[in-house]
Amino acid sequence: MIALLRSGFNTRRSRHGLWGVPLVIGVALSLLLALTTDQFATRENLFNLASQAMPLLIAAIGQLFVILVGGLDLSIGSVISFTTAILSLEGPAIVLIPAVFVLAGLVGLINGVVITRLNVHPIIATLAMQYILLGITRFLRPVSGGEVPGVVIAAVQGSLLGLPYALLWGLITVGIAAKVLYGSRFGLHLFGIGGGVAAGMEDAARSYGVRVARNIVLAYVACSLFAALAGVFLAGRIVSGDPNVGLLSELDAITAVAIGGTQLSGGVGSLHGTVLGALIMALLANGMNMANISPFIQTAIKGGLLLAIVGLQSRKKMGL
Amino acid sequence: MAPLLSHPALRRLASVPPAYYLFGLLLLTLWLARPNMLNPNVLGIFIRQVVPLGILVLGQLLVMRVRSIDLSGGGVILLINYIITSRTFPEASGLTFALMALAIGGAVGLLNGYMVAKRRVSAVIVTLAVSIILVGFVQFLSSGKPPGDVPKYMNDIFNISFGVLPVPVLFWLVCTTIIWLIMQQSVYGRYVEAVGENADAAAFCGVPVERTVMIAHVIAGLIAAVAALVQTGSIAVGSVRVGLDLPILAVAATILGGVAFGRGEGGVWGPFFGTLCFALLFVVMTVFGTGEPGKLIAQGTIIMMAAIIYGQKRI
Repeated sequence: MIALLRSGFNTRRSRHGLWGVPLVIGVALSLLLALTTDQFATRENLFNLASQAMPLLIAAIGQLFVILVGGLDLSIGSVISFTTAILSLEGPAIVLIPAVFVLAGLVGLINGVVITRLNVHPIIATLAMQYILLGITRFLRPVSGGEVPGVVIAAVQGSLLGLPYALLWGLITVGIAAKVLYGSRFGLHLFGIGGGVAAGMEDAARSYGVRVARNIVLAYVACSLFAALAGVFLAGRIVSGDPNVGLLSELDAITAVAIGGTQLSGGVGSLHGTVLGALIMALLANGMNMANISPFIQTAIKGGLLLAIVGLQSRKKMGL
Repeated sequence: MAPLLSHPALRRLASVPPAYYLFGLLLLTLWLARPNMLNPNVLGIFIRQVVPLGILVLGQLLVMRVRSIDLSGGGVILLINYIITSRTFPEASGLTFALMALAIGGAVGLLNGYMVAKRRVSAVIVTLAVSIILVGFVQFLSSGKPPGDVPKYMNDIFNISFGVLPVPVLFWLVCTTIIWLIMQQSVYGRYVEAVGENADAAAFCGVPVERTVMIAHVIAGLIAAVAALVQTGSIAVGSVRVGLDLPILAVAATILGGVAFGRGEGGVWGPFFGTLCFALLFVVMTVFGTGEPGKLIAQGTIIMMAAIIYGQKRI
């Protein structure tokens, strides 16, 4: 336990990155909010917080997959909006829900193939995809409206023995991600590929027999699937389709991953750090809402936070 | 793809930036669909609309040539537009506004350059974050409501034209020529080229890599300020949404023009034609009645296709 905790503060030796710092910040922030406001430590607020944090948490976990291989996915905001638009179409839930994941998987596949096989920079490829998907979403649903299948709403808003289902969503997502990242060959390969990319040797993993291109494509597919899951959750919360609901959420997800101690250059990062990062973002939003800070200033503060966090991460490469 | 491109003639054709082909294609489409739109007066008005974009592209091509990117132009344009139209400084003259704009653009460029060149932070993240901060700040100041009117003299300057040549277009041509001369004739232009080709090799040859990248970002910031002034002149009433999609269009036009992350076959005039492509694209989409979703899809597809074409030639 102590050895594990110590690894969270040691940047040199751990592939998990600096996750001890966000742990301390998260605990301090919770204590601060609990002591200074009397609304924070209430049951409703904490459950509300869990429900607010969940889409970001799920999207950030997806983003972690591509960041680990030294990539970046700017299209997840559009995937989230697209998902809510599809779910709010006329049709039976049994068709719409699988369709969402098939389409999101396809988006990830296109991203991955364009990046690995057609030699396009991840940021450009996913930025282009962001625009294409946003266009399709606005075509399907120009303004927010429509109705999401009842089963989705029940699965998001319901509760079991007083505990909201939102917590269950979080547990299942983190469980799946933990199994994939830490309990599978694919997860190990992601760390291997990213480590090579961060050190400036793109082919390092290939020389150990790792199928680099295929694993990177799969990472983008996984990222899109997690984004779709976040979209389904959001759709259940807002009950309708909204073409703008995912706007800028790719940056929130990147911020959460970066706060969690994951290096954006790849190879170093952790799931528990990402969970902590997403929780810190949610705590900040919760605290700023209780302090009545304008949502516009909140956006600016989140931008400043992202700038400060990435400013602290040193890397070798200059530029993109 | 590789054997297909190995024939010398085809390789020559493939090294022409996609912008020239697209420009020809769009002109042909327009000529077939609406020949009467192809007169200098109509086209002049459409081209005048993309002048802010064209000026922003000049900064973008400089930073993209040194393997960086600048997405903060949207925030800079929004902030300058807000300062001019909100009557925060009622006594200010045009010159004061211009100097204020340049100071803002220079400061943002300096911050971007410092973070990218010295702190080695991903340029996309830095410039997007800066843009978000500026947009959030402006929206907070204006509480989301549109500010006031644009001073009349700005619109007047924007609307002058010499015969069929509008003043903004002339200004754009002059700016492009200046950047072209800097890239062609100055030592700094050589540095930019060297850093873009191979930053490590350039560093070993004694090129000040960090300073070159930093200056590129400062120039891009200043150019964004100029684009903001032109953009403000082109609209009558201030807005809290103006110019937000310009940086991404600028990236698209630059890639179309054959300049992308260290590759510079397109020079300065390739991206110039890339911008003209967008002017024609807007005409064609207006002619065919494509709405906003179609516009977004077309923009995304163009960025994707141009980047894919460039990805192939690396082999």
